[in-house]
Amino acid sequence: MSDQSCVYIKKEWDIVAARQMGRDIATKVGFGTVDQARIATAISELARNIYLYAGSGKICFEAIETVQKKGINIKAIDEGPGISDLAQVMEDGFSTSGGLGAGLPGVKRLMDEFDIVSKSGEGTTIESTKWLR
Amino acid sequence: MNLNIDVKQPEERYSVMTLEGEVDAFTAPKLKEELLPLTEAENALVEVDLGGVNYMDSTGLGTFISALKSTKEHGSRMRLVQMEDRVYRLFKITGLTEIMEIDTSVRGGM
Amino acid sequence: MNTLRLDLENYRDLLAEYIRTKDERALYQAEQFSKQSMQQNISPEEIINVHLRSLQELYPELPDYILDSFDFLMETMMSYGLAYQEFQALREKQLELKSEISVAANMQKTLLSTTKPEIEGLDIGALSVPAKQMNGDYHHFVIDDEGSLGVAVADVIGKGVPAALCMSMIKYAMDSFPELRMDPKYILGSLNRVVERNVDSNMFITMMYGMYNTEDNTFSYASAGHEPGFYYHKERDEFEEISAPGLVLGVSPDSMYEQYQKQVDEGDMIVLLTDGVTECRKGDDFIEQEEILEVIREYKDLPSQEIVENVYKYFERLQDFQLRDDFTLIVLKRDV
Repeated sequence: MSDQSCVYIKKEWDIVAARQMGRDIATKVGFGTVDQARIATAISELARNIYLYAGSGKICFEAIETVQKKGINIKAIDEGPGISDLAQVMEDGFSTSGGLGAGLPGVKRLMDEFDIVSKSGEGTTIESTKWLR
Repeated sequence: MNLNIDVKQPEERYSVMTLEGEVDAFTAPKLKEELLPLTEAENALVEVDLGGVNYMDSTGLGTFISALKSTKEHGSRMRLVQMEDRVYRLFKITGLTEIMEIDTSVRGGM
Repeated sequence: MNTLRLDLENYRDLLAEYIRTKDERALYQAEQFSKQSMQQNISPEEIINVHLRSLQELYPELPDYILDSFDFLMETMMSYGLAYQEFQALREKQLELKSEISVAANMQKTLLSTTKPEIEGLDIGALSVPAKQMNGDYHHFVIDDEGSLGVAVADVIGKGVPAALCMSMIKYAMDSFPELRMDPKYILGSLNRVVERNVDSNMFITMMYGMYNTEDNTFSYASAGHEPGFYYHKERDEFEEISAPGLVLGVSPDSMYEQYQKQVDEGDMIVLLTDGVTECRKGDDFIEQEEILEVIREYKDLPSQEIVENVYKYFERLQDFQLRDDFTLIVLKRDV
């Protein structure tokens, strides 16, 4: 296990910092440009969600390595209002992106693994991993 | 297929809604959205002027039935005026003339 | 044309060919390439990547700023790829919904099916055609213990799925009535209570219920706000309206219905219908009652089933073969 690095999201420009840190780690892991772009887009979505709906939170990155594979793990953690209807936010066409294809279903498509835990009033943690092929 | 809805409130608890066009499956939801809140105040009187309505289908009738039920629930009144013959026939056949306040003295085209 | 391979080598060769020849043929192949990429869920950013790598192989000395510009383009295209994937997922979902609706429509057909009974001395014709996949009209024949024919014609407000669900409820309610003879006014009264308790405030159902007594050839009927039918007197060669006052089902819990009776003579005819028949529109105009009667009169001497079919064909043509509302027509004729 390597160290975990986090970027705090409070204002819109923090999204850029999160993308930058994510891209740097992804490059070190060995991801190509296409996957880097996908990882950066996923980070944008996660960070923008925090910025828009929770007000503040953090995005943490970790380069991970098992015997067979390497990858990047991204956690988006906030203490905002939480998501009451998870099924709905994960449904296509209902996302806050207004049919632009992004939102959380978009993140799920861009990454390989995706998990979300949310408690009303206590916040949301989204964990997502992309493996190097 | 269009419906113009105009609402005026000459006095508190008295509103006049003037309709122009067709009340059908396309326009009924909009009508319902405007009409129902007017019936939700106690002792309110809602007058609906149907002089400009040349066509109404069963969905339209359903909206007025909803409004009627709402007046009973909230203790308000609804009065339909200036109904055209074709529209009046629909209210007559369905038996609604018996339970709705319809002012036939100012019926259009009679 | 041999199938295109979606690999780098192939793309690179095609690109090189185009740059060399400016030939339309290469562009056409690019178009094919684009379609196949979509079929195989290859996203725009991957295509940009393939393009960039092809360029690098063809022109090893490309300046960095050109290469960098492709990273920029790739980011710009990300959302398009995501939107396309979402569109695909939604399209699959829509197909699923469509097939579910058609399953439901078939279930409804089975559920609401009624067999036209064969009764000595009475010639029956019946036709019901939905405007959309699911029918909001309903008709039902039942023969009671004493051999009398009960006939119901109903119309639910609106069309499509909600109307069909409502109809199924009516059908179950009617099936649960005892087998013994019940007067039309009581049947409507009981149905009204069922409907009033179970539907939304803006839903309602109209129904005409008739009972043909084969022993004394009387027809008793009651109506819950339903479109009037017609009665044809053979001897006088005249039509009259069959109407009965009564409130539509589902509006007031304690509605009462009045029952009327007619003595049916030989050759007399009873016509029951829904407003899909009377609300046929000719362009922007409505047809008048006179016109319906004229059409029925024209075919009145045919067997009942042929009458309803001919009348339907007439109105179908009138509406350019596009029904706007569900159409139901029933004819009962006392044999001469």
